[in-house]
Amino acid sequence: MLPDEIIAQLISEYQCRDQQIHNLAALYSSHLPSPPCLDVYGLTATGKSSILASFFQLSSISHTIINVRECITARHLLERIVAASVDALEEFHDEKLDRRSYARTENLSALCVHLGNLLEGRGKFVLVLDAVDKLREGGGTLIAALARLGETVPNLSLILSTTLPLTPSTLHSSSISFLHFPSYTRSQLLAILGANPPKIFLTPPSLETFPDYTPDLAAEDDAWLWNRFLTTVYDSLSKHTGRDLISFRSCAMKLWRPFVEPVVSGQFGTRDFSRLMVNRRHLFQLEDSVLDRILDPNTASTSSQTATSTASGLPEPATPSKQRQAKMTVHDLPYYTTHLLIAAYLASYNPSRTDVTYFMKHTDKRKNKRRAPSAASFSMSSKRTGSKVRKISRHLLTPSPFPLDRLFAIFRALLVDSVPQVADLYTQIATLTSMRLLVRAGGAGSNDALEMGGKWRVNFGWEYARALGRSVNLEVGEYLVGGVD
Amino acid sequence: MEHQRCYIYELPKTEERSPKRQRTNRYNAQAQLPERLQTYRELWAQQEERIQEQDTLEKADSAVQGKIVNFISASSSMPDERKSVIPTGLIVAGPSIASHGPFFERLGRSIKEDAGSAYVVLTSGECPNLKTLLKNLIKKATSRVDDDDEDDLDRPATSSKHGPKLLNYDLGHIQEWNKRNRVSSIVVALQDSEAFDAGLLVDMIDLFHSWLDRLPFVLLFGIATSAESFEDRLSGNSLRYLEGEKFDVTQSDDIIEKLFSATVASTHVRLRIGPNISRRMLDRQKDHVQNTQDFCDGLKYAYMSHFYASYPSLFLKEDIAFKDLSPDAFEAVRNLPSFRQWVEKKLEQGQAQEVRSLLNSNEYMFEQVMLHIKSSQQALSTLSHAAQVLSNTREALQMSPKVRLSSIWTRAASGELSNSPLLRETMLCIKKIPSDKLVLLLAAMQQLEGDYFSMDISLLQKEIDKLLQTNDTNAPLRTQHDVRNDNLRTTVVAQKVLLSKHKAALSEQDKAYSDLVGRFYDKLEAYFDSAFIDPRTLFLSEVLVYDLKSPHTEVFQPKPRFAIERALASPHDYLGCDCCTGVDGNEAALSATQPATAIVYQMYLESGTLINVSDLWSAFNAIAGDGDEENESKTMAIFQRALAELKYLGLVKPSRKKTDHITKIMWKGL
Repeated sequence: MLPDEIIAQLISEYQCRDQQIHNLAALYSSHLPSPPCLDVYGLTATGKSSILASFFQLSSISHTIINVRECITARHLLERIVAASVDALEEFHDEKLDRRSYARTENLSALCVHLGNLLEGRGKFVLVLDAVDKLREGGGTLIAALARLGETVPNLSLILSTTLPLTPSTLHSSSISFLHFPSYTRSQLLAILGANPPKIFLTPPSLETFPDYTPDLAAEDDAWLWNRFLTTVYDSLSKHTGRDLISFRSCAMKLWRPFVEPVVSGQFGTRDFSRLMVNRRHLFQLEDSVLDRILDPNTASTSSQTATSTASGLPEPATPSKQRQAKMTVHDLPYYTTHLLIAAYLASYNPSRTDVTYFMKHTDKRKNKRRAPSAASFSMSSKRTGSKVRKISRHLLTPSPFPLDRLFAIFRALLVDSVPQVADLYTQIATLTSMRLLVRAGGAGSNDALEMGGKWRVNFGWEYARALGRSVNLEVGEYLVGGVD
Repeated sequence: MEHQRCYIYELPKTEERSPKRQRTNRYNAQAQLPERLQTYRELWAQQEERIQEQDTLEKADSAVQGKIVNFISASSSMPDERKSVIPTGLIVAGPSIASHGPFFERLGRSIKEDAGSAYVVLTSGECPNLKTLLKNLIKKATSRVDDDDEDDLDRPATSSKHGPKLLNYDLGHIQEWNKRNRVSSIVVALQDSEAFDAGLLVDMIDLFHSWLDRLPFVLLFGIATSAESFEDRLSGNSLRYLEGEKFDVTQSDDIIEKLFSATVASTHVRLRIGPNISRRMLDRQKDHVQNTQDFCDGLKYAYMSHFYASYPSLFLKEDIAFKDLSPDAFEAVRNLPSFRQWVEKKLEQGQAQEVRSLLNSNEYMFEQVMLHIKSSQQALSTLSHAAQVLSNTREALQMSPKVRLSSIWTRAASGELSNSPLLRETMLCIKKIPSDKLVLLLAAMQQLEGDYFSMDISLLQKEIDKLLQTNDTNAPLRTQHDVRNDNLRTTVVAQKVLLSKHKAALSEQDKAYSDLVGRFYDKLEAYFDSAFIDPRTLFLSEVLVYDLKSPHTEVFQPKPRFAIERALASPHDYLGCDCCTGVDGNEAALSATQPATAIVYQMYLESGTLINVSDLWSAFNAIAGDGDEENESKTMAIFQRALAELKYLGLVKPSRKKTDHITKIMWKGL
């Protein structure tokens, strides 16, 4: 294909990337020399990989693209480079190469030799290493060495794609070309996403009832509403949470169906944007749509929402507080295991010198539960003394390690009845460890499970501990030094 | 021995006997052990079958497994559309980690069968890092024999003939394999996802996602805590690559309940466990572990101990003949407490002749034993069935404190249920039952009708149907005991208010209905009264019910720490020698005759967190040493060994805080 045709096709395919496409076409044409090494950089979702792939696909230059994400080790990367180059050259020149000599690529020098042999007497070969900064175990000089491959193998031109520009210090040289893929601006984002609007009506309205609502009209409505909707989503949510194309698109797609729900049900017309906005404003007030979840929150909550919507006619906007409460469902643990976990939480967050105050067996049980001075009194005292020391609530700090015997002592203090000294308690500790609710914390012999005197730490937060306590009728806050708000 | 008027008491002739009485023919505890073993195997095989079929392990999961399989086939059935996310199943399998392994194994079987996918289970133990994870994954998926596990960089020497070969952690292997086998999806299940390093998970998801256009991955995560806490561990970027559903596996206490009703509270069981042991097993499930396998093991152990330790258990063998038994067996039966009770009752009833023949004739004894095994088994089955009836009744009436069948059965088996508040409350509720609920109750009871519960439910149902047909109002019929039929009347007599209750006048239908409920109530009460007996009063209850606490507790709930602490703190308990009893009968006192480790340990108990070894030594020398300068080195050796033993037990460790000090790390009684 001629360069102009390539450019035209790419520009029609990838909007708002005209300049980068022109640059690429200028740098990599089949008869002109190309730079030995080019760093293509830009943040995520700026079209680097796809444009590179499409460009070389269209241009008739022998090339290979390697996704460095898939390489586990540096050795793996080197092997992949050689194997992929051999494959690409065989395909491009339509010939059979003797593969035996390229069986092993243990290190960089072997790579140099192999590539040199491979490309000797051939035309230009472009090697694209995509996301080279994502290499899992790259040595300090690997990238620098790769970037200078072009010096030893003259007809090789290398393209490295990275998120941030490679600095001269990593490259050990400053003579490298860069091509920047800037992030899309607001208008660009809106233009890209607005190009293909999703449908309002998944099943078009029947022709008998609405004879004049033609598919053309529907497409026009879709585009009109979608573009207005996109602007709103960007200004209200995506501007502050994720400005890249992928986050913006996923956020918009998540909101689209609930947004047009009243239109589909016939409550509003397709062009009733302002009334629709007011009706659906809660969608833009919540952060659900911008959070990445494995479980689709819409499908999870539809069952509960349908119940409310049948009652009131309209689905109630879910408030964040409601969501939070539903989130903290604790899987039923056995009775003693629950207490062990609570004891572990208290052991982590209470300083050990206060144990006597909180856990001594008194005749009056209420004496133990002492609330520390509230936040208000803290601020008062600090004002009077004028000290600038700010107290951070304990449960916001990292848990401190504790010995196992302290855990058992607190455990026994929490329980009213006596507990037999059975091996089951140790089994439970082991189980909780493998569930990562308790973890061994540092210190000597932390890797050896049998080593006594090792220290432990909890690995869950205050909300989980409180929910645990409530499942066994124990208010954890009453035993916590400093109290909780 | 009331068949004689008077007795002549003769002193036993001690001259002939040795001072310590010896059995002339030694009682052989191992008698007929093979037969008992066989009986045990027979009975346990039946139980195991019940566990398998009822299971729970298959049945209870089947719904969830079906859902997961559907999810996988649904996600793999859209291959045309380029997938941008990995389909992910979050399987919340609950905190009983031990049952996760079998669950994923069964899940794998059904996935392979139904969804036509490849299935690989990975556990955290075999995946310390990404490279090992991939190696394991490839090995399991392709069933490839791993020929080079010494060093990943090594590769077979033959490779140089064929050009570049894939490294053994390259997913290209799976790609090649997939080209040949064409599976619809590759399901990778991480059995204990919590135990995986979060960074490893992120790396793995990232890698799988970039391969997703070539390999149809589906991820399953086994989760013990909650799906939310799992999500919290992953980064937002990897969450973006995943999308899926959550599956809740049946809670293990429901499974235990089902298992219990199948294996213990069922009517076809020949050997039952007693109330004490079942309470112990259930409490253990509730308090410590939640594990169905553990419950089955406990049951199996109870069966084993029953047949191993008790000779009369031989009678449980099916169609046992008289000639198979030695006279010892009958002697053993005659020594059972329940036999004595039974005989005493017979004597009270004046059946002395029968008792005599029971004591003398083995044949007669055999007949009686066979007869009573049948009848006692019948009684026990009736009891179990009645427990079931009671439980279903409560369920049908929706009575508020939900009592599980297992606890009802346990109380019934310990003979506590007759006249208990629970039963009374239920019966009162039946007395007041309105007709709409009665219909439901009767329908529920009809399913339970059988050999052990013969009440003519269908007759009652017909009657009530007839009554309801004549009832033209919408309101259900009510009995005379219903509160709505009472009304209060106040009368003022001499400035005092008198409250009196009056029955409202009942309609004809209500009267007829009350009569019907009354009959139903009487029948049910009679049934419960006859069924809820105390099983311990049954003859041969020792054979039919195993209820010994001792070996079960020691095996399933050992107390290792307590045992060590007790042995060290009071060695006399274990040694039982005269020398260690202590000074002047005071057992707590230290004495030189005690083992050196015990002496040091007791001094250790009295000290604080940091112990000065020099002080410890002088105290030890004062007790164990003899004051002679020359022997001091010997005492020192003993002392050092004792201290080393404490260190070995993990009680002390050297301290860096102070020189010549050791730190105390274990506190007694925890």
